[in-house]
Amino acid sequence: MNLLSFTYSLKDFPLAIAIVDLDLYVRNNSLIWANQFSHTNKENSEDINLKTIETIPKTIQDLIFSVLNEEKILIENIVLKNNQRLWFQWKINAIRDQDNTITGAVIIAEDITEKKRKEELLTQAESVAKIGGWELNLITNSIYWTDTTKTIHEVPMDFIPDLEEGINFYKKGKHRDLITECINNAITNGTPWDCELQITTAKGNDLWVRAKGKAEIVDEKCIRLFGTFQDIDTNKKKQIEFKKISDRLKIATGASKIGIWEYDVANKSLFWDENMYEIYSIDIAEKNTENILSAWKKCLHDDDKQVSIKKLKKDIEILNEFDSVFRINSPNGETKFIKSKFTVQKDKNGIIKRLIGSNWDITKLKMTQLTLSKTEESFKDVFQNSSIGMALVSLKNKWLDVNNSICESFGYTKDELVNKTFQDITHPDDISKGFDKLDLLKKGLIENYQIEKRYIHKNGSIVYALLTVTSIRDINGKVNHLLTQISDITSRINAENDTKKLNKITKNQNKSLLNFAHIVSHNLRSHSSNLSMLTQFLIDENDENERKDLRLMLKNATKSLNDTVYHLNDVVQITTSSKDKLRNTNLNDAIKGVQHNISALLKEKNAICSISIPEAQMIHVVPAYLDSILLNLFTNSIKYSSPNRDLRITINAKAIDVENIQLEFKDNGQGIDLERHSKKLFGMYKTFHKHEDARGIGLFITKNQIEAMNGSINLVSKVDEGTTFILTFKKGI
Amino acid sequence: MNKIESICVIDDDPICVFGIKKTLKKANYYNKVLIFENGLEAIRGLEEYLIQGKLLPNIIFLDLNMPIMDGWDFLNDFVKIPNYNRDFVNIYIISSSVDPADLKKVEEFSVINNYLIKPITLEKIETVIQEY
Repeated sequence: MNLLSFTYSLKDFPLAIAIVDLDLYVRNNSLIWANQFSHTNKENSEDINLKTIETIPKTIQDLIFSVLNEEKILIENIVLKNNQRLWFQWKINAIRDQDNTITGAVIIAEDITEKKRKEELLTQAESVAKIGGWELNLITNSIYWTDTTKTIHEVPMDFIPDLEEGINFYKKGKHRDLITECINNAITNGTPWDCELQITTAKGNDLWVRAKGKAEIVDEKCIRLFGTFQDIDTNKKKQIEFKKISDRLKIATGASKIGIWEYDVANKSLFWDENMYEIYSIDIAEKNTENILSAWKKCLHDDDKQVSIKKLKKDIEILNEFDSVFRINSPNGETKFIKSKFTVQKDKNGIIKRLIGSNWDITKLKMTQLTLSKTEESFKDVFQNSSIGMALVSLKNKWLDVNNSICESFGYTKDELVNKTFQDITHPDDISKGFDKLDLLKKGLIENYQIEKRYIHKNGSIVYALLTVTSIRDINGKVNHLLTQISDITSRINAENDTKKLNKITKNQNKSLLNFAHIVSHNLRSHSSNLSMLTQFLIDENDENERKDLRLMLKNATKSLNDTVYHLNDVVQITTSSKDKLRNTNLNDAIKGVQHNISALLKEKNAICSISIPEAQMIHVVPAYLDSILLNLFTNSIKYSSPNRDLRITINAKAIDVENIQLEFKDNGQGIDLERHSKKLFGMYKTFHKHEDARGIGLFITKNQIEAMNGSINLVSKVDEGTTFILTFKKGI
Repeated sequence: MNKIESICVIDDDPICVFGIKKTLKKANYYNKVLIFENGLEAIRGLEEYLIQGKLLPNIIFLDLNMPIMDGWDFLNDFVKIPNYNRDFVNIYIISSSVDPADLKKVEEFSVINNYLIKPITLEKIETVIQEY
């Protein structure tokens, strides 16, 4: 075959080229082909068939066959992607011999993968960046929009716009007017345009776009306009929003007198806004960095100059920001407090590019703070050192703070108190005292109240306190907590109680003194008047017999006076010296003893005594007085027993409380008319019965004795039924 | 003077009674003298007197401090005795008490003429008799 005699090789062809025979065996090929389709470049490559090369698509084989069979003459520029995702542009031509018979085919495969990819990327980029293209042919007056342009306008892909329609997408008013003007300018003057405008899409959405256009002028005549069309809605909206915010900030800083400054490190230039000049009261003609800085340094307060500059350097190094308060001297001589704050902006390499900061005048705030802290300090001082106990109490009744005086009054440390509620240390009987007022106070219905209350000292003793509670309101006028002032009036109350006790004793003593005076008046005077009368008679009398009688009477009167003085002496003895003689005495034994001593008298009256006293009952008495009292009660019962019946005496005793024993001594005698005599019962020389022995001294002495032992005596009685004496004694051990 | 037919002394103190009797004689009073030892006896005695149809004494000397029934209780009972000539009875308290409380109490009883402090002297008796 001629084909085989085609001896010079294709080896060095700068293309991927190969010649195949009718059976598609590769007869000759370039090195590039061999590389491209991965087979060896043998001189004799009969055994390589095109069909076996996997990277050549099946379509190509079919096309080669169609050429070989003369179904097609020439195949040009077939672009196909093979199974390795590579793009090739194929060219196939038949090879004929002298007889014009097809003997094989020549195949050229050009690798266009790279080109193809670039094309793909470009399309993608257009859609990603939302940049579309457009063209207006002024000769044909036709418009061309790329797919992206159509997408932006939200029109279908088969949409064909005309010029008027295209312009009408722009929002009526300034947007549409502007684009019309731009187009006219471009057509007449060839001026390109680049502007941001709003369109209304086919679906009715408002969208910000960037429209760019350029004219093509031929022979001073515009034949074509073309350009790009970009969806910038998201960015534009952000931009507008940002502008709004910065405008707002500008208004805000202006109103609040916050000064803003910026320092560009690279250019060493400083910018101050208007507020800065106002804050520092600086007015300089040429606002350059040097002038600003020197004016600023002049303003600084001497004491703060070094400090603030030092702090500034340190903060920039460590924190990349600065926050400080310093003083400046304003031109009118006043000192102003300035709060300064700034941050540092660095580039990627960490080099400081800019400083942005703010300054504001906080003099008023600072002054208020100073006054406040002074007020607070003086309150703290008063609070801690007041001699009146003071406490801050929460609405839940917890101590928030207490002063030294309270701690002293209650014996607790501050820490101990703060962990308690005030109820914890209130006397149990007084816990609910003042709650009604406290409630009104907490509700804000009253401003304060005052009560007396008892507390329990840590050592268990009672603390009497005068409590004043005042509500403290917060800034909204709501009751926030309570200020409690506690005056410890324990010593006053104790003194008061002592005085009361003393007063009672004095009253009693006064009473007995008065009684005593009365006795003296009644009894001693009656004797003395008798004596003086008898003496006068004796002087006037001459008859010796009469004088003898008078002398006898005088003797009797003297004896009576003597007796009375003895009785009075007894009483004085009882009240003055009994306290030292108190002993623990068995009540039962004492009663039995007296009963035994007068057993003869009792027997004479056929008396029956029933005594039921606990055997071991002890009482705290003067034993001699107890005997005297019991003897008096027994003899009274015997003396005033009823002549109509045998005497019956019933004696029993019981404890009436922790301290006192009550003794009941009951008889069935004549009784006493209490209606008539109750006031005089225990007076001296009072008798209520006609009895030869009645001298009216017994009950008087008994009462004095029993009261001297801190006891009491009383009686119930009914005439002709009997008398019951009720006595109390202090319990003994 | 002749009008006074009887005088009553209520006192538990025999010496005092003796003294009054003796002084009355000195003052030339020799008519009847009634003696009672305490208020109760006096009330009973005077009631008995009235039952017998006799008149009450013209003058009563009344001690305050007495056993069983004292002078005050006597007065309480005495004013209740129904008698036509009670208004003609002059009552004099005779007491050794100088207690102002007793003197004040005298004012509560309109029947009392005067308060005489012991000892009872001749002058006092004479005044009493003249007053009648």
